[in-house]
Amino acid sequence: MDRMVDIARTAMRGAMARQTAIANNLANAGTAGFRAEIMNASTRWIDGQTLKSRAEQVDQVVAADMKSGVVKETGNPLDVALGGDGMLAVQANDGSEGYTRRGDLVLSDSGLLTTGDGHPVLGEGGPITLPPADSINIAKDGSIWIVPQGGQIDQPQKVDVLKVVSPRGSSVLKGTDGLFREANGGTLPQDPLAQVTSGALEGSNVNATATLVQMIEASRAWQGQIKLVETAKDIDSSGASLMRLDN
Amino acid sequence: MSTSALQVARTGLDAQDMKMRVIANNLANVNTTGFKKDRANFETLAYQQIVAAGTQSDSENKFAVGLNLGSGVQLAGTARIDTQGTLSTTGNSLDLAIEGSGYFQVQQADGTTAYTRAGNFSLSADGTLVTAQGLQVVPQIQVPEGTQSITIGQDGTVSAVLSGQSSPTQLGQIELARFANPAGLSAVGNNLLLATAASGEPQVGAAGAEGRGMLRQGALEGSNVNTVEELVEMIETQRAYEVASKMIKSTDEMMQFANQQI
Repeated sequence: MDRMVDIARTAMRGAMARQTAIANNLANAGTAGFRAEIMNASTRWIDGQTLKSRAEQVDQVVAADMKSGVVKETGNPLDVALGGDGMLAVQANDGSEGYTRRGDLVLSDSGLLTTGDGHPVLGEGGPITLPPADSINIAKDGSIWIVPQGGQIDQPQKVDVLKVVSPRGSSVLKGTDGLFREANGGTLPQDPLAQVTSGALEGSNVNATATLVQMIEASRAWQGQIKLVETAKDIDSSGASLMRLDN
Repeated sequence: MSTSALQVARTGLDAQDMKMRVIANNLANVNTTGFKKDRANFETLAYQQIVAAGTQSDSENKFAVGLNLGSGVQLAGTARIDTQGTLSTTGNSLDLAIEGSGYFQVQQADGTTAYTRAGNFSLSADGTLVTAQGLQVVPQIQVPEGTQSITIGQDGTVSAVLSGQSSPTQLGQIELARFANPAGLSAVGNNLLLATAASGEPQVGAAGAEGRGMLRQGALEGSNVNTVEELVEMIETQRAYEVASKMIKSTDEMMQFANQQI
């Protein structure tokens, strides 16, 4: 069995995985607060008995691109855009604390404040639940002010503060639920310098042009590997024809 | 050979197609009285964990990071954006606009109450105040025959000057309903909205009280659709659609190349 084919195959698998990750980035070019995923190919040596025999290619999603996305004015008081590298703390499906840049907040029927994809938003003491209110405003520091039902419009009350954290100084990883978590499983503290802009929404940070270029690269890398498979096939068949005994 | 890249790109096409429908509906209702625009919200689909971080890559080493491939995007839902539409003066005494929050109540054919921001009312054959579709406004306002002029105050009080009289007679009061979470109202067409568990119970009362908006007679609230904003959204959606179809073409070419060369 020609090992050249095997090695080319690992690279083909990598190119296809890369293409899938690129397709996912492009598909989420319109998802609020989405962070593009970065793929990286690395070498994995396979050790022989005495020498390293060959190197396979391993493709991995290594990180998420943390650049800011474009912020759009929406005028909706429950849309928040975060300044700098701040992230909103939300409750993941397994009850743990995750972080997201997604700021399209919605009120559920029970008054629970969630992100547009359904994760409860955390405040000073766990998930934020708002009482029935005539108006809701989110201030620059993330504090939520409401005019209670039937209350005086000029006397808003502070009900909670959005937990906005900063990943500065610690590393955050993106999990399989699309939320970020502290790399060592801990939680991040509230960022006192948090900047929250209400009435605006941050879009996805996927750069369509750059991603299209990556797509072409992945496609060409794939074609290169196919050429290798083809070459391996040619070598194999010319070897076989050399060995053939003509009458 | 898996062609999941094709499937992932397809989710992008589907989502952009749905968004285009939302934009088309907004643009189609740019002149609908009291219309509130919708916004399409996207969310990522599940991630497929192919290699979990921390698992063994061989007997001695572990993968430092995992290979998590996303499976695309889907439409999470549409959110109605309840900003005030522009008020335009019509001069028609039965046109009402709400300045601020609140909804007119109308009685549907099955007797249940629906809510609307569209205040282009008229009178039925028997003198009842009805919507453009002929649904009766709640509470019922009956305008007697021979009415010379109708005045509706900011608080919804309806008074009329009857023929042969010099002072106006009070006919009733239009009440508005307000909801804790107006975004939770479900739209059913004909400019009507229905209360749901998400919107909460309606708090009915006089206009201008307890946070309810004031009424303005002789004006109508237009649609809150901003045409330029929707056109920009439309172009963005169209480009995103093109990019997703490029992705499909590129993946298709990869498979084609493999099929032809090997």
